[in-house]
Amino acid sequence: MAKMLFLPLLILLLFLFECESFSAENPTDRRLLVLVDDLAIRSSHSLYFKFLESRGYVLEFRLADDPKLALQRYGHYLYDGLVIFSPSVQRFGGSLDQAAVLDFVDAGHDLILAADSYASDLIRGIASECGVDFDEDPDAVVIDHVGYAVSEIDGEHTLIAADDFIQSDVILGEKKIEAPVLFRGIGHSVNPASTLVLKVLSASPSAYSASPKTKLSTPSITGSTIALVSVVQARNNARMLISGSLDLFSNRHEKSGNEQFVTEISKWVFHERGHLKAVNVTHHRVAELAEPAMYRINDDLEYSIEIYEWSGSSWKPYVADDVQVQFYMMSPYVLKSLSTDLKGLYFTSFKVPDVYGVFQFKVEYQRLGYTSLSLSKQIPVRPFRHNEYERFIPAAFPYYGASFSTMAGFFIFTIVYLYNK
Amino acid sequence: MVAPVEPKPGGTLRNAFGGVLGFFILLLIGVLAFSIRLFSVIKYESVIHEFDPYFNYRVTQFLTKNGIYEFWNWFDDRTWYPLGRVIGGTVYPGLTLTAGTMWWILNSLNIPLSVETVCVFTAPVFSAFAAWATYFLTKEVKGIGSGLTAATLLALVPSYISRSVAGSYDNEAVAIFALIFTFFLYIKTLNTGSLFYATLNALSYFYMVCSWGGYTFIINLIPMHALLCIVTGRYSSRLYIAYAPLVVLGTLLAALVPVVGFNAVMTSEHFASFLVFIIIHVVAFVYFIKGILSPKMFKVAITLVLTVGIAVCIAVIAILVALVASSPTKGWSGRSLSLLDPTYASKYIPIIASVSEHQPPTWPSYFMDINILAFLVPAGIIACFLPLSDASSFVVLYLVTSVYFSGVMVRLMLVLAPAACILSGIALSEAFDVLTQSVKLQLVKLLEGPLSNSGDTKDENSTAQNDVLKADKQVATNNKTEDVKERPSKKNRKKDKENTEKAPVKSHNEKRLLALPLEASAIAIILLVVLGSLYVIHCVWAAAEAYSAPSIVLTSRSHDGLHVFDDFREAYAWLRHNTEVDDKVASWWDYGYQTTAMANRTVIVDNNTWNNTHIATVGTAMSSPEKSAWEIFNSLDVKYVLVVFGGLVGYPSDDINKFLWMVRIGGGVFPHIKEPDYLRDGQYRIDAQATPTMLNCLMYKLSYYRFVETDGKGFDRVRRTEIGKKHFKLSHFEEVFTTHHWMVRIYKLKPPKNRMKGKTKKPKHTSKPLSGARRDGSTKKNPWQ
Amino acid sequence: MAKSTSSDVLTLIRSLRSAYAATPTNLKVVYMGIVGSFPFNSFLSGVLSCVGTAVLAVCLRIQVNKENKEFKDLPPERAFADFVLCNLVLHLVIMNFLG
Repeated sequence: MAKMLFLPLLILLLFLFECESFSAENPTDRRLLVLVDDLAIRSSHSLYFKFLESRGYVLEFRLADDPKLALQRYGHYLYDGLVIFSPSVQRFGGSLDQAAVLDFVDAGHDLILAADSYASDLIRGIASECGVDFDEDPDAVVIDHVGYAVSEIDGEHTLIAADDFIQSDVILGEKKIEAPVLFRGIGHSVNPASTLVLKVLSASPSAYSASPKTKLSTPSITGSTIALVSVVQARNNARMLISGSLDLFSNRHEKSGNEQFVTEISKWVFHERGHLKAVNVTHHRVAELAEPAMYRINDDLEYSIEIYEWSGSSWKPYVADDVQVQFYMMSPYVLKSLSTDLKGLYFTSFKVPDVYGVFQFKVEYQRLGYTSLSLSKQIPVRPFRHNEYERFIPAAFPYYGASFSTMAGFFIFTIVYLYNK
Repeated sequence: MVAPVEPKPGGTLRNAFGGVLGFFILLLIGVLAFSIRLFSVIKYESVIHEFDPYFNYRVTQFLTKNGIYEFWNWFDDRTWYPLGRVIGGTVYPGLTLTAGTMWWILNSLNIPLSVETVCVFTAPVFSAFAAWATYFLTKEVKGIGSGLTAATLLALVPSYISRSVAGSYDNEAVAIFALIFTFFLYIKTLNTGSLFYATLNALSYFYMVCSWGGYTFIINLIPMHALLCIVTGRYSSRLYIAYAPLVVLGTLLAALVPVVGFNAVMTSEHFASFLVFIIIHVVAFVYFIKGILSPKMFKVAITLVLTVGIAVCIAVIAILVALVASSPTKGWSGRSLSLLDPTYASKYIPIIASVSEHQPPTWPSYFMDINILAFLVPAGIIACFLPLSDASSFVVLYLVTSVYFSGVMVRLMLVLAPAACILSGIALSEAFDVLTQSVKLQLVKLLEGPLSNSGDTKDENSTAQNDVLKADKQVATNNKTEDVKERPSKKNRKKDKENTEKAPVKSHNEKRLLALPLEASAIAIILLVVLGSLYVIHCVWAAAEAYSAPSIVLTSRSHDGLHVFDDFREAYAWLRHNTEVDDKVASWWDYGYQTTAMANRTVIVDNNTWNNTHIATVGTAMSSPEKSAWEIFNSLDVKYVLVVFGGLVGYPSDDINKFLWMVRIGGGVFPHIKEPDYLRDGQYRIDAQATPTMLNCLMYKLSYYRFVETDGKGFDRVRRTEIGKKHFKLSHFEEVFTTHHWMVRIYKLKPPKNRMKGKTKKPKHTSKPLSGARRDGSTKKNPWQ
Repeated sequence: MAKSTSSDVLTLIRSLRSAYAATPTNLKVVYMGIVGSFPFNSFLSGVLSCVGTAVLAVCLRIQVNKENKEFKDLPPERAFADFVLCNLVLHLVIMNFLG
């Protein structure tokens, strides 16, 4: 119930909405909507769904064209996450459409989207809006004549073995995935300008994307530019997993690394890993405790912040040595690394520069796989007040002497003058 | 003051009567000066006008709330984001302190007026004071009659009314009073040679320095006059007493004002006074030596001193020149430089040139602002030369310099107005003096009657005049003024002449010689009265129609009645109620003061144009295409952008008409903004012929966004043309509020996209199911209409 | 006879005063040349207090001078009162500005 204590502090944070919707609830209560083409998927992918349920998620299976489909009711979202395992659906039922799905994401909710070789325009459209472009050729699949999985029927080498994972413990867990992932589906390319999309699983250099039926023309994407599975972390920290294959999640590939891969990545997508929050931003003058409304130039100040990471069940202190704070006015005047006490508290102290203006304490912390922390707190810095300057300057003593002696002279003169009258 | 100075044995009663009458006339002039400025309150409402007054009002509020020390140390973090502004050190505190004191006094007398009311009525009150100060000044120069005439003229002069109507709470309102009063005290000191007045003079100069940057006019004019007196051989010890303490005390006091500080001794504007200070000491010393030594010894001494003195002078001047030349602007501030070289501002400082009141005036504006005074002034100059005294030479010098300055900057017409009033007052008064005098003499000749008859004739005269003018109140005052003047003025003039060593008897002889024929004088009097009444009519018209619009509320008359445009306050109120306290609003700097004062939101730039780069940044953003403008604004943490658009109702001073200045000022700092890109063949246009740069810049888009929806054609009533680009969408801004008459439009910066799209091209076969995406783009844009 | 002595004394004192007021001014300018102009306000007030006193003394001298016919109607008492007032203002400002 420490969460309840944190809650008011979260108001300070910029990613307020996302954080609130996530941490305020008990994670075991999370409701997922699973859209399927065919309820048979429930059994063919039962291992994966079982895994999700074992992690405490409540799954609601619906046909993708169910006419009573709705994500929100009375302005509130009914679900925390959406799993779209219906690659062939042309049109969602009910009030759901592409815009609704994207709004769902923009409201800070998570999404798992699996396409397949017969992915519909709707699915492609959603992916494209997120920065992932499936191969435009509707018949194209990823083919690899070198790194294919030896199987009984496949002469076209469309079931490929991929082991080019992203190097990130946060996304894929600390335990290394030993076996290659078996993938059958379409490839996609990611928008190279986008900083939000990450290729989690890429194809091997010998792969290409083409239709196995038709005669080979120049494939539109080849080699390791083909992304097989990508994740997107939106600016509001909503996470999305986009896979070119629904088959990836199925029960079929037992000896491969598929199970470990999808479970680890699902943990990441549903914020069990890599979710940071910053609370208790405080700053004050050295040797004071209260937070001032305004600093004076050349003040010494102390700044501290607490950063925690969500472990799936509780907030654990986040430990790193690369968190930096900026004292910023159009450009950073002070840039300092924060030291940590390993219990989540980060702190530093510095001197306010000799410039007045409206400054900001800025913490911009973006690391691969972690949610981005972006905090800024405005604080004005004023110049000296008129009575804060040095009063009596030794160098000026002759001037003081002169002035006072003329004053004394004036008095003497007055007395003499009056006396003489 | 009003009481006659040295009553002659015969006329004590008459003089006392004249004194009381004069006092009442002065009182009436004060009431007149106050009440003619109330048109704006009666026609509109009791609000603060225009732009700068809002800042002064806000400062006054702060002062009354937090006290003087907090005010002195006030660091304002709500303007010039993120730089902030040290208000206490960069504002002329005179006006604020005056109004604050008035408010405080009223409140401690248990008269609970709001700060705003006090601020609104400060200017009219001080214009009454200014009229009285004019009376005293002119009295010192030419006597009571001229004084009363000049005071009446000043109370009515349109140029001054334009800056001091009720609600126009600006520095000039009190500064003109301070200016005239300082001059009065200087002349008083010059006439009496009393240190007491010299001290008062320095204090009044201090008040002037507190109030307005125009104090440099005083500190240059008075040395010029002192120098003129020395050169023309009119040096006297009174001049020394009037000048030397003023420089010392005045400099010290000026250095006490935070905004002036060491500028009082460091900048070239003040060097003239120091130079003349040295010269006057040399001259005083020479005169002193002359008095002690015999003429022969004096000659010897003078050659000796001259050689040494010249050497020293050259050395000092060389040092000064070296010091001044070492600073980049030669020690002159930009505005002063543009006064000396009228082309300077347009060449180097577009920000000064962009303000309309810094432009040179046109001839009609002279007629508009000082009306018939322009024709009376030459006569006044001649009248001043007839017996040239120190005081009258000062007035002439004042006029000549202020005519020059008003020719450079229309705003300085305000300085010219008192000079013109004084001289015209003298001219009118002298003319009436001569004419009525001759009428009197002729009547005396005609009737052989006793002297008391003349009183009757005067009464007749005034009733006749009243008939002509239909007993208009102001005119009546005017007439009375003209009536009373002759008796006391004679005396005062005599005193003047005494000073200038003329026999008092001579004037009587002159009068006899100057007697004109009765008919001619009567006609001339009537003509003068008609002239005066024309002036009064013009002034009342100017006060009622031309100068009382608060420019925050606009009205227009059309065939279907009166329209009131209250869009500005509507917009500011929207900002105040619908945005976060710490949100930053960007607009062109004209609206900065109003936004901080009325909407209480942080602005990027405001009317205190102290940081050219910052203004240029905003100008650049306004002249850039949407995306780069968004980046500039985002880097300044701007949340809202406010533009003023007059195209729908025909409000000409909107942002599109100011836009070229934004381009120029922006281009002055960021060279990638080039003015020719916005002009088609040197012409500024926004129709279909306009350049693509113009049609794509932010200002065009924000002004004309959805404009075509109003009449279907997009006809701009200010530019009288159809706009060039009618249908377009905004990608980085969204409209959040547009006022009733579209005069103020407020846009919000869209946050960065939550997601980044893939390739922009849409799959060709997806047109059918993708309608949702398009809806996503368009419905969000205008949630308001 | 008493009158003449007193006026002699006055003249003497006055010239002494002027001389005294002038000396620190020169000294101070020299001192400023050496030390630099850092506490500029103190320097300014120091110099101006001396200059101001000297100027006011000169004014007083002009006014009470019997030979000067311009000020016949200004009694010396009034002149002195003015002088004191002016000096008070001057020194108040100096005190204010010094610190």
